Amino acid sequence: MKQLKLTINGKQFELLVGEHEMLSSVIREKAMLTGTKIGCEQGSCGACTVLVNHEPVLSCITPALRCDAADILTIEGIASDNNLHKLQTKFIEKGAIQCGFCTPGMVMTSLDFVNNNPNTTVHEIKEALSGNLCRCTGYKKIVEAVAEYSMEQLTPTINQAQSNNLVREQHTIGTPRPYIDAKKKAQGVAEYTDDIKIKNALHCKFLKSIYAHAKIESIDISEAEKLKGVRYVCLGRELPIKFGVLPISQDETAMAIDKTRYLGEIVAAVAADTEEIAEQACKLIKIKYTPLKEYFTIESSLNDIGSEEKIHAHTRQNNNIHKKAELRFGDQQQGLANADIRAKLSFEFEGISHGFTEPHAAIAYWDESGLTLISATQVPHYLHRALAKTLEIPLTKVRVIKPFVGGGFGGKGDPFPHEIIIAHLARKTGKPVRVRLSREEVFITNHGRHPSKMTVEMGVSKDGTIKVLDADIAIDGGAYGSFGVVTSYYNGVLLQAPYKIDNLGFRTHRVYTNKPQCGAMRGHGAVNSRFAVESLIDDLAEKLNMDPCELRLNNFLSSNTLTVGQYRITSNGSRESLHAVMQQSDWKNKYRKLPFGHGIGVGCGFFISGSALPIIWNELPQSTVHLKVDFDGRVVITSGASDIGQGSDTMLAIIVSEVLGISMEKIFVLAADTLLTPVDLGSYSSRVTFMAGNAAKDAAENLKKELLKSIAQKNNINEAELNLSDDRIFSNDRSIDISWEQGIEILTAKRGAVSVSGKYISPKLGGDFKGAGAGLSPSYSFGACIAEVKVDTRTGIVKLLNVWGAHDCGKAINPLAVEGQLEGSWHMGIGQTMSEQMKYYGGLLLNNNFLDYKIPTTLETPDFYTNIIESHDPEGPFGAKECGEGALHPVMPAIANAIYDAVRVRIHKLPINAEDILREMSKIQTEFSDPIHK
Amino acid sequence: MIAERVYIKAKTVNEAIHIASQHPDDFCFIAGGTDTMVNKFQGNQTANCFIDLTDLDELKILKQEDEVLKIGALLRLADLKKYDAIAKDFPALIEAAHSVGSPVIRKSATLGGNILCENRCVFYNQSEWWREAVGYCLKCEGDVCIATGGAKNCFSKFASDTAIALISMDASIEVVTAEGSRLIKLIDIYTGDGINPRRIDKKAIITSILLPVNRAFRCSYKKLRQRESMDFSSLTSCVSIDTNGKILIALGAVDPKPILIEGTLNDDKSLLIQQALKKARVIDNDVFSRKYRREMIKVFLERSFSELGC
Repeated sequence: MKQLKLTINGKQFELLVGEHEMLSSVIREKAMLTGTKIGCEQGSCGACTVLVNHEPVLSCITPALRCDAADILTIEGIASDNNLHKLQTKFIEKGAIQCGFCTPGMVMTSLDFVNNNPNTTVHEIKEALSGNLCRCTGYKKIVEAVAEYSMEQLTPTINQAQSNNLVREQHTIGTPRPYIDAKKKAQGVAEYTDDIKIKNALHCKFLKSIYAHAKIESIDISEAEKLKGVRYVCLGRELPIKFGVLPISQDETAMAIDKTRYLGEIVAAVAADTEEIAEQACKLIKIKYTPLKEYFTIESSLNDIGSEEKIHAHTRQNNNIHKKAELRFGDQQQGLANADIRAKLSFEFEGISHGFTEPHAAIAYWDESGLTLISATQVPHYLHRALAKTLEIPLTKVRVIKPFVGGGFGGKGDPFPHEIIIAHLARKTGKPVRVRLSREEVFITNHGRHPSKMTVEMGVSKDGTIKVLDADIAIDGGAYGSFGVVTSYYNGVLLQAPYKIDNLGFRTHRVYTNKPQCGAMRGHGAVNSRFAVESLIDDLAEKLNMDPCELRLNNFLSSNTLTVGQYRITSNGSRESLHAVMQQSDWKNKYRKLPFGHGIGVGCGFFISGSALPIIWNELPQSTVHLKVDFDGRVVITSGASDIGQGSDTMLAIIVSEVLGISMEKIFVLAADTLLTPVDLGSYSSRVTFMAGNAAKDAAENLKKELLKSIAQKNNINEAELNLSDDRIFSNDRSIDISWEQGIEILTAKRGAVSVSGKYISPKLGGDFKGAGAGLSPSYSFGACIAEVKVDTRTGIVKLLNVWGAHDCGKAINPLAVEGQLEGSWHMGIGQTMSEQMKYYGGLLLNNNFLDYKIPTTLETPDFYTNIIESHDPEGPFGAKECGEGALHPVMPAIANAIYDAVRVRIHKLPINAEDILREMSKIQTEFSDPIHK
Repeated sequence: MIAERVYIKAKTVNEAIHIASQHPDDFCFIAGGTDTMVNKFQGNQTANCFIDLTDLDELKILKQEDEVLKIGALLRLADLKKYDAIAKDFPALIEAAHSVGSPVIRKSATLGGNILCENRCVFYNQSEWWREAVGYCLKCEGDVCIATGGAKNCFSKFASDTAIALISMDASIEVVTAEGSRLIKLIDIYTGDGINPRRIDKKAIITSILLPVNRAFRCSYKKLRQRESMDFSSLTSCVSIDTNGKILIALGAVDPKPILIEGTLNDDKSLLIQQALKKARVIDNDVFSRKYRREMIKVFLERSFSELGC
């Protein structure tokens, strides 16, 4: 240890630091300034950026002792007094903040850049931010915020006028507004799990398997236990109870017990006084393995395995097939016979990681009330149940708290081994235990999009009517079940819209392999098969000599109809979405008219707005919201819904504000704490706005009723004559006109605080056949994208120029948030199409970090043209439905179809790499005698 | 149990070398540290003694001496463009520096550090757990190259971009050891052995990089990577032509060392490309395949010749 003197945000510190300690650790753990985030621990994400002597550095790879006597500025120090820095204000106003985890780094990097480059351009800003990863926003709003800030620095007069405009307070549905927690995030004071300091906590580290499939013969922990500072070493047999997010796939234990099923599976866990000691102890544990035959491919797991050992004993046959899902509607053979033109293609998709910027983290402690687990989770409710089950304690003894979460996208949507293990370690040691996964561990924890292979056949009649769709799909589930049964169905059932297809069939096999498990990821289950279908439609349009937009328009389902698999379609903005992007992109003048190497393509899609059936079958409402109002007039919303950066807390507040006619300032949201908040099933399947939003609306309406009843009684008038608006309660004739607070005084007189409840229960939907429940939703979103690309015909490298996107979200409760969801979805879709993949060497993930897993930076992200389409859903809260996942589907095939338009090659394998384009181009070269005129 | 670690900020070059000699097998010099710290995090850099060079102001000077421009080894990549002498005569160096890492990394990373950047391989730049699971490759004391299956040679990729631009402009370096200082051609410090890629005394310090000023290089620099920021190279090329019509072609990331091909304006360019392809020992240890990277050597060089009008 060495003494380090430095100044952080103007305050002097004298600290004892480790010789090789990083600056980020000193700032976070010693100066307790947790606004500086740890995202990757290797300088590849930018979340830890701080200024040292007025220059930005990545504090996670900067030795602390280099900074002796330095002047350090962190996110917490950039504002003076109680004001926000103008750049922070811009980030807030422009909606540049979603989960907020990248925000401190973004702000610090931008601040340095603009200060040194007062006369800058948008391209230069993008370049300056190209080392700061954001997984939520698609960068558009961040770049806009920085550009506007920079412009206003040069011309401060515009500044005044514009910001006055932007901070104008309104409280109606449909007004773009920042998240209610955006300020905290901009200031770096929003506490994510790893920012929460619990006294006397132990640190947990894991020993991970070095075999993909092996029997554990013996484990010797004696040396590890002897190490000073080690408090407990835990093995799998202590936590033998199986869990899994789906009741039908309870196939995982917290740690490997008798055998390991993937490389990186946790075999032992250590709780120690410091991370370093815990890590050291892990190295002292000796394990003897006997390797078993490993299965890494879909093919090897589909086949009979002879006398070898299966991955899971419970699978039905002598292979590693986890689930076979098959549904057939109409008659595919007849459909093919009726089709004039058919197309059949095979596709391959690599696995994809969620890439949220905040690594998994959790803290566990026990007291007289039982277990409290603070965790970066999307599903406190399921975690609550899984902890009670695996730790064998009553549900009444588990409290799960979700603090700020730095993105999830489905990746924090299961109960996880690390959560169960630290709860167990905390029980054993009697001390709080904390864990933060390394980025490598986050990658191998996975639960990402399944690697998939599929052959899809479609047929159309000459007039351009889709006659048939038949898909044969295999998905690689990795070592455990996770959401995989749902994924298996979604791959097929979510092809029954947005087009009317009478003869639709699919078969999906999900196999276990000895790789990290796959699960749900944004756009769950349907992303890859949607890519296949939209590619085929493009191909069929070509064969029909028909504009692919026209072919799509010909086949869209209408509003208020049933699909072939009996999905109830209510509102449907497919047509409006496609029209919007066709017009905005100048489609008619570009399609097949651009010079060789330059192309434009289209794709459409749809998605569920929450699953109509709960995962765990019971009759609880899907969401319950409580409202409490006390003498002070403040309305407290309690909801189990998990804001993971998508803005659901803000959505709840807006809805309550709208119903009660009160300003947002009077509303306080308390969410996602299973002790205090009523059950909401969680943030998955794009259900929160629809379901928790409806529950909040119901609760607010119930409060309104109570309030108006009490005022009506007191004043002897009919409740129906009373109105709530602009923080006032008034009768039609204005004979009564009182403030909200006066009204609350009447409501609470002789009664005290009033609590009301609201709920959402999905209507009974769907057909009466096995599998009918898959993909049932009370409403569906629809959308379209057009992409424009340039292909370098000698290198095969694709430059994505523009994406025009439109998404029918029913009604944008908060248009700023909706745009952010759409842009983030497109960005993620671009990643999967162009560069992202989980690359394995056998069962070892090769690219388990943010340098090698290629999330697009600002420079690979094209200009987005964002269109919100509002179809006013009859059952959505104020007409709203989902916008967080569906937009991802259409962008991917739009890019591939644009590449086809550019160079006439159709790529069936994602990510699309330059090499494949060149190879395919060389195959057809002879067909292009004159490449300029296609 | 946990070994004693030290972190020392050296005040002079001699002091740095002296400290190094006190920790002969257990030290590492660090400049920007942007690669070293990541390697340390992954367990590939295990030195317990870090000798921080960033206070050596004598290594942050740029000056012209006779026929050469001397660039201090500790000048940071982001700062090179601020010097007219570089911007005017050696823009390819600025272009190369700008293609390294991310903007914030370039504000820590130094030119000297970059030319000494450790070779890379997908099977090597991994955590300790990962390397144990794969069975340790040649570069980390294993007995087989995972990428090729061979047991003799390590083909970890040469990773410096600035070195490629520098080599194509005939750069030399000034190296200081306890015995004194000497000048070496930059290309000569690279061995081609992926395990020990540089033949330079471990206790030596590169103090400056020297570029000849009177040769009026015209250069064409290119870098292949999946993303336009952050990524290490899959192929870096720089072609230069000087006043005498001499052509220098340098290639990086396609061999454990930089590839240098010398020619003249009168040479058949396709033959020069053939020579480059013959020399580059490209293997499958990158996001792009061996075949594609070889194809791109050809495309890049053809494009560069065309840009340079030859």
